[in-house]
Amino acid sequence: MAGLTKEKILDALKSIEFEGGDNIVDRGLVSEVVIANGKVYFALDAGNEDPQKLEPYCRKAEDVVGALDDVSSVGVTITAERQKSNGSQANGHANGQANGESKSQAGGGPQGGGGQQAAAGQAIPGVRHVIAVASGKGGVGKSTTSVNIAMGLKAQGLNVGILDADVYGPSMPRLLGLNEEPQTGPNNEIIALEAYGVKVMSMGFMVAEGTPVVWRGPMVMSALGQMINQVTWAPLDVLVIDMPPGTGDVQLTIAQQTPLSGAVIVSTPQDLALIDARKGINMFAQVNIPILGLVENMSYFLCPSCGERSDIFGHGGAKEEALKIGADFLGQIPLHMDIRETSDAGRPIVASNPESAEAQAYLEIAAKIWASLDSQGEDTRVAAPKIVIE
Amino acid sequence: MTSGNGTSDVTKVDQSINDQLVPSEIRLSHSRDLLTVTFAENTYELSAEYLRVYSPSAEVQGHSEAERKLQFGKKMVLITDVEPVGNYAVRIQFSDGHKTGFYSWVYLHKLGSEHGELWPTYLAELEEAGQSR
Repeated sequence: MAGLTKEKILDALKSIEFEGGDNIVDRGLVSEVVIANGKVYFALDAGNEDPQKLEPYCRKAEDVVGALDDVSSVGVTITAERQKSNGSQANGHANGQANGESKSQAGGGPQGGGGQQAAAGQAIPGVRHVIAVASGKGGVGKSTTSVNIAMGLKAQGLNVGILDADVYGPSMPRLLGLNEEPQTGPNNEIIALEAYGVKVMSMGFMVAEGTPVVWRGPMVMSALGQMINQVTWAPLDVLVIDMPPGTGDVQLTIAQQTPLSGAVIVSTPQDLALIDARKGINMFAQVNIPILGLVENMSYFLCPSCGERSDIFGHGGAKEEALKIGADFLGQIPLHMDIRETSDAGRPIVASNPESAEAQAYLEIAAKIWASLDSQGEDTRVAAPKIVIE
Repeated sequence: MTSGNGTSDVTKVDQSINDQLVPSEIRLSHSRDLLTVTFAENTYELSAEYLRVYSPSAEVQGHSEAERKLQFGKKMVLITDVEPVGNYAVRIQFSDGHKTGFYSWVYLHKLGSEHGELWPTYLAELEEAGQSR
């Protein structure tokens, strides 16, 4: 079988002329060629044209390849699934040296136009755990919670980073008082900014505050891919991703591109917020990401003058929800003026006033999160199958 | 897979993680026509053709049952690559260029455990449509 190579097959196929003078290989009609035990398989790509037109070429191709030495059978299929623009790519395959390994296809595989990274599901090198802080609803304090959890993890002596994945409404510049543009390193990598010893990356560093990012989905996905893969995160113990609200494109992309160690769900005790929190939980469950627990934010209000406690959004809703789904309840954060003020001033309360009761609440939550991550051990991935290609 | 409304769904989906409905191994045969998926209790051998015609991709399934496109003439199809997607799925690339299907663990398990019904269903659909494998 040693004599049979993709090149030989492609050379043979070049003898078949296509209308217009080209042969079918140079025309980009021939897909990846697969050879297995003397059996040869490939497809002719009809692109946008009528697949019927390719029928005669299909038979000619079978005859030509079948006549080669060492070929026991030939299977040719006609496809019309690839887009026309891929024609040049297929051409590249044909002219480039075939490695004889079907693996080689992956590298040149054209993406569906989204400009996404090919490295779907690969871990970020040098980052042990990636966690997502999410909610269903907006405005429940996700970003404030993310920052303070990150600061809490930092207080445990860990190397921590924060990725602000809310491209349309980035909060990190304000929450951390950062507004410089990140530098680019020699290999085109983006050097993360730092605040209170925590690495930070946000879309907000690229555009001025008040300037809207008016982008369609694919642009957002590609920016996000860069923020995950091209930023100098390593070495980190935990990368905290502050998710945008909802269960859309960005959430799915993150779930697909990074094997998350888990997700923290933030909700107020209000039913309205809990309904959406539940959706967030379901989304993570669908993509096999464990829920590290629920945080109840704006849990209660302590009147600064009389000290009376008011349960503005109701009480205990998130805790009940956690019990219901068997997830951990990580803690309650009160609605407190100091948290709001330090947040708006770019001095997260855990970093600026770690002794306060509010900071202590965040520190406890961070400790619980770390305990749960650490018990997962060195292997940052949730149970994953071994993929063997013989 | 799940419509995600109501708490009963949450509990159900959550259990699928706890039950470790995650294969321990996914093996592509040397001949490239067979994918062996090993779960805790069962091992399923899924042919490339079966996986291809039941691809979960929207190109095949459409956005509703009515939009589903019957696949045919895939008897000779081979698998050219298998790559992980996040924590929950693999993307399978086929020799006919199809590569938009993300096969979640749950879906692979379904294809394996319900092969006895799904495969004859496919053959019957082919016959009804007057197509061949």
